[in-house]
Amino acid sequence: MFQALKNFYHKLGSFPWFYKISGKVIPIVGFFSILLIVISSIWGLFFSPTDAVQGDVYRIIYFHVPAVSVSQVIYYSMSVAAAVFLIWRMKMAGVYIKSLAPIGAAFTFIGLLSGAIWGQPTWGTWWVWDARLTSTLVLFLFYLAIIGMQSTFASRKSADTAVSIITLVGVVNLPIVKKSVDWWNTLHQPASISISGESSISSEMLIPLLLSILGVYLFVFFTGLLFMRAEISSREQNKEWFKKLSSNN
Amino acid sequence: MIYLIKILKKEFLIYSRKSSSFISPVVFFLISISLYPIGISNDPDILKNLAPGLIWITVLLSTLISFQNIFSEDYEDGSIELLLASRQNLSLIVLIKIFVNWIFSCLPIIILSVSSVFLLYFPQEGLKPLIISLLIGTPTICLFGALAGALSLGKNSITGPALMLPLSLPVLILGTQAINYSLNGINFSSNILLLTAILVFLLPIILFASVGALKLHFN
Repeated sequence: MFQALKNFYHKLGSFPWFYKISGKVIPIVGFFSILLIVISSIWGLFFSPTDAVQGDVYRIIYFHVPAVSVSQVIYYSMSVAAAVFLIWRMKMAGVYIKSLAPIGAAFTFIGLLSGAIWGQPTWGTWWVWDARLTSTLVLFLFYLAIIGMQSTFASRKSADTAVSIITLVGVVNLPIVKKSVDWWNTLHQPASISISGESSISSEMLIPLLLSILGVYLFVFFTGLLFMRAEISSREQNKEWFKKLSSNN
Repeated sequence: MIYLIKILKKEFLIYSRKSSSFISPVVFFLISISLYPIGISNDPDILKNLAPGLIWITVLLSTLISFQNIFSEDYEDGSIELLLASRQNLSLIVLIKIFVNWIFSCLPIIILSVSSVFLLYFPQEGLKPLIISLLIGTPTICLFGALAGALSLGKNSITGPALMLPLSLPVLILGTQAINYSLNGINFSSNILLLTAILVFLLPIILFASVGALKLHFN
């Protein structure tokens, strides 16, 4: 078991292997992610019950919660990749960070935007300087700094290292930011889903929500693979294996 | 050890001979502090409430003027390359550079922030938490400045400030909160302790990260 995992990890570092496998995986993942998103959207928008307090407005939860949750998960996964890159110099980790940063930034933006649209009718304002909003905004700024840093280095390796350093410093700082804004000000409703304890949301709303979260995660997996393939093909276009592959097709 | 003292002396000499390194943050601070009453209001009550945040934000922004100084000249004249090649402990050297930069760019502003008592009608009893929080908070900001400066060496881009300001958010929150707490009669020592904890926790991490960032420029 351990040996198989180790083999998988070593294979993951190989561009040709990844390129071949991802080509097979992408259509399947893409199909299921879009299927799940469509199902959960229709279910959530038309069939789940209306909220007693907020009315129909709450239905934006099916976009807001998946986007915000995935935006944080992407950042933490990027920081793992950053550590892998700095310790083992695995080139694939650099590709991963570079490809996932724009996706993470996009989902953070969607989270902020859908939160603003949700906040307007329920809180009566587009934006409040509340703890969660602020820490999500800071997350968005970190993503922007990472994306901005990509372009300032001429050499790929230096850019990847610089970005890994920023990502790691950011992940060390994010909990501090989170805690300090919590003490500063909070108005946001507490998280309604928790893995351990009881969820404070009815199951008729919970199931489409979980489906939409799963759909968005798969969608990130799908777009992440696409972006990584594009990045690999731009980095490796002069390599022998890539030329052979493209001449075959 | 001796080389560290030599580097410390050299840094002091460079900063003290280059007067702009400590005059420009001071001038920036004084200009902005005197702009607030003109731009916002000269009503003492309004200014008194805003003063803690205004002072902290101005200090934060004035470090943006000086953070490029930490490495940029050494990078241009090539002495960083020599230090990298010298096989000495770079993180200690970086620490010395940050320390001297802090003394010359932050300490004068901290002393000058006393002037806000007259200029912003800042209550005198708030001076103690103001000075303490600035003394403990600004080194952390200088650390972030060093990292941002090391990453954006030789590049005139927004990435340095864009990296530095979101990182400094916790320091800003805890610093202003300490002042507001003490003005409202609440014990502010927990905030000072947290600021110290952040400094102690981030010091080794940022030092290693800055050394890594410096090495990037010489592959």
